[in-house]
Amino acid sequence: MNAVPSDPGAPLRLALCGNPNVGKTSLFNGLTGARHRVGNYAGVTVELREADLRVDLRAELGAGAGPKLSEGRSVTIVDLPGTYSLTPVAEDEAVALRGLCGERIEGGDLDQRASPPDSVILVLDAANLARNLYLAVQVIELGLPLVIALNMIDVAAEAGIEVDPEVLSRELGVPVIPTIGRTGAGELALIRAAVIAADGEAPPSSTLLALRQRLLGASGDAAVDEALASLAAVASPAAARGLLGARAAGTIELLGASLAAVAAAEAIASDVALDAASALAIDRYREVDRLVAQLGLGRAPGGDRASSSSAPAMDRSERLDRVLTHRFFGLLIFIAVMGLLFTSIFAWAEPAMGLIEALIGWLSGGARGILGDGVFTDLVVDGVIAGVGNVLVFIPQIALLFLFVGLLEDSGYMARAAFLIDRLMAKVGLHGKAFVPLLSGYACAIPAIMGTRTISSWRDRLVTILMIPYMSCSARLPIYVLLIAALFPTDQAVGPFNIGGLILLGMYLLSTISALAVGAIYKRTILRSPTPPLVLELPPYRLPRLRNTLLLVYDRTMDFVRQAGTVILAMTVVLWALLSFPKPPASADAPGPTATTEAADRADAAELADAADAAIVHSFGGRVGLAIEPALTPMGQDWRIGIAILGSFAAREVMVSTLGLVYGIEGADDDDRPLREVLRSAENDEGGRRYTPLGGLALMVFYVYACLCMSTVAVVRRETRSWRWPIFMFLSMTIFAYVAAVAVYQAGLLLGYG
Amino acid sequence: MSPCSLAELPIGVDARIVDVRGADSLRLRLLEMGFVPGTAVRVIKRAPFGDPLELRLRGGHISLRAAEAARVAVEPAQREPA
Repeated sequence: MNAVPSDPGAPLRLALCGNPNVGKTSLFNGLTGARHRVGNYAGVTVELREADLRVDLRAELGAGAGPKLSEGRSVTIVDLPGTYSLTPVAEDEAVALRGLCGERIEGGDLDQRASPPDSVILVLDAANLARNLYLAVQVIELGLPLVIALNMIDVAAEAGIEVDPEVLSRELGVPVIPTIGRTGAGELALIRAAVIAADGEAPPSSTLLALRQRLLGASGDAAVDEALASLAAVASPAAARGLLGARAAGTIELLGASLAAVAAAEAIASDVALDAASALAIDRYREVDRLVAQLGLGRAPGGDRASSSSAPAMDRSERLDRVLTHRFFGLLIFIAVMGLLFTSIFAWAEPAMGLIEALIGWLSGGARGILGDGVFTDLVVDGVIAGVGNVLVFIPQIALLFLFVGLLEDSGYMARAAFLIDRLMAKVGLHGKAFVPLLSGYACAIPAIMGTRTISSWRDRLVTILMIPYMSCSARLPIYVLLIAALFPTDQAVGPFNIGGLILLGMYLLSTISALAVGAIYKRTILRSPTPPLVLELPPYRLPRLRNTLLLVYDRTMDFVRQAGTVILAMTVVLWALLSFPKPPASADAPGPTATTEAADRADAAELADAADAAIVHSFGGRVGLAIEPALTPMGQDWRIGIAILGSFAAREVMVSTLGLVYGIEGADDDDRPLREVLRSAENDEGGRRYTPLGGLALMVFYVYACLCMSTVAVVRRETRSWRWPIFMFLSMTIFAYVAAVAVYQAGLLLGYG
Repeated sequence: MSPCSLAELPIGVDARIVDVRGADSLRLRLLEMGFVPGTAVRVIKRAPFGDPLELRLRGGHISLRAAEAARVAVEPAQREPA
């Protein structure tokens, strides 16, 4: 965490930090407008955002705001993750601390210079100072030029909490600017103060220096002082406190600290580090309570006037929670909200997805018309345009999910949802926040995996990512529907239930139980970690800001298109080539490739004619399908299904159209009735049914488990930033799917079905 | 009432935090969230399945699981809750 002096020609960098739920995002969006850049530190997945100051605000600052701006420098604002402290107990805090210490950022198009910010804007919630000031004390320890945005001062006043910015400024010795993030009030004054502070012309106030000295001076606890002294050679006093906390929490690797610093920190026994870090935390709160008392917010620790706790800013929320987290009605509302969220990505996205598909179809038709028939046209249409379609088709679901998640998060309900469902998630070993991504997995794994970003522990996030593909997504539905309709007597009823419905329900239950079991197993084996502590703030309910949410939606969508979309496009082209080359011989009578001859041995003449018509059988993919037939027989499938399985890697629902192509039926995905008929009446060599209900069941089980979705693989690569986890996921799921399908088929045969 | 853990504190009873126990980072996290000795705290409610708890302290509400709240030793106030 070495600091390098900032370059005089580079933009002035201001860091924005603060607790979660203090309106920091609104303030950042207000100060910068919409465009921002994203990047991260080596070894951590939490991202940093930065953006340039809004042009009109920059103009209003003029050149008179200080010598640095008079040189015409631009102003950049770095948005650090919202944290309650700078002690690196988890990734968020580590990233905030690294951002403030001035470390080089990796990747993205973020400014990658290694230097601390020129000044820090600390956002405090005026209604919640008894906890917010803890972070303020830690930021003051850092000794960077600092201004405070006393945000949501209107909300505080409404709740009867009067905070005098003058008093806070006097007590801390730093400028305090009252702001209202929602309306933008105070923005200009805030940025002016931050730029002046960044200039470093005026020396720090004597109050601030005295406060820092008190915080960083001898603590009076010999063990604490000794531990800090042993780090003095390798880190600044504030960074030493960070190292000590990281040593106590076992998270040193998150800090990206120098080898010398790591060695010095590890020389301290971890229980000694924990005691010292705990003593420092208690000392800081002593300072917080002194400040709170000075502000007239109460004499007792925690800002309470008497011996009882009080939370005037929570009065309205507490009344709402009497219903919203009620034992019965709370759960009912939770189910309704989740149902709505689920319906939106499952059903509401449908028209938009249809529109995108129609657009792609129109484009394909147009391209074919202009280019004429040929291999190049096929590449453009079936490779590139189809690939672009495979990317774009996810946008409605991603946008809708993040629209919901953003609004729920902003309103404060998401914390309640986690509160309500935590008990059940904790049984798997996960945090309540893992619920929404898992639920979204029923609709589509792509947005769901992106939605895991709200989970702060990396291991838990990874476990959730690995669980999601087991949830039966909407793309599996057409496969279940085809197989059930083709192979089972759907008019048969079991009690009040339709047998087809029961089988479908069974597939969804199987997928849910499997996902939960897989999560529980990973938490206890390869990603072993304790159930993350809940320690969840239940913020006051607020009207969500549509603007913030729309920016989030835009952000996530563009991120998907740029990062995962390119991989999906490339894979579509490759898959197209595999299923298109080599081309079938011009005449069906010409001797085909060996694999086709093999097939001919098994199939009767009429079928061979059908198969030979289907160009797909001649391709590499088709030959692989034929070659793997011996492996498919134990699960009750033939080479035709093998080709369909390969084809469905582009997207599971493509299985239906690929199977259609094998049987020479065009457009099977729009109307699968002809295909159903073919599957039902297809005969094997002995004249029996080629596809039995038992085989269909085994194939459905295979599809419950198999990770046959290259988009999932691509998005997991994006989210985990390596190929390691997507490859692991793909192999483990496919192997498990195969074993499960074989087990179902063989057990069924033993029991006399089939 | 005699000292007990925050997990045992009845709903609606005011108490003061005496200590946070344990030898892992959860202790540090709880302290940093404001569970420091001397701070007033009250259990507001339990989630529908009995766990976690909703707590009020330092002007805000925080949710902890019972297992986490059991780490926090509190001393209930002498008077009856209002």
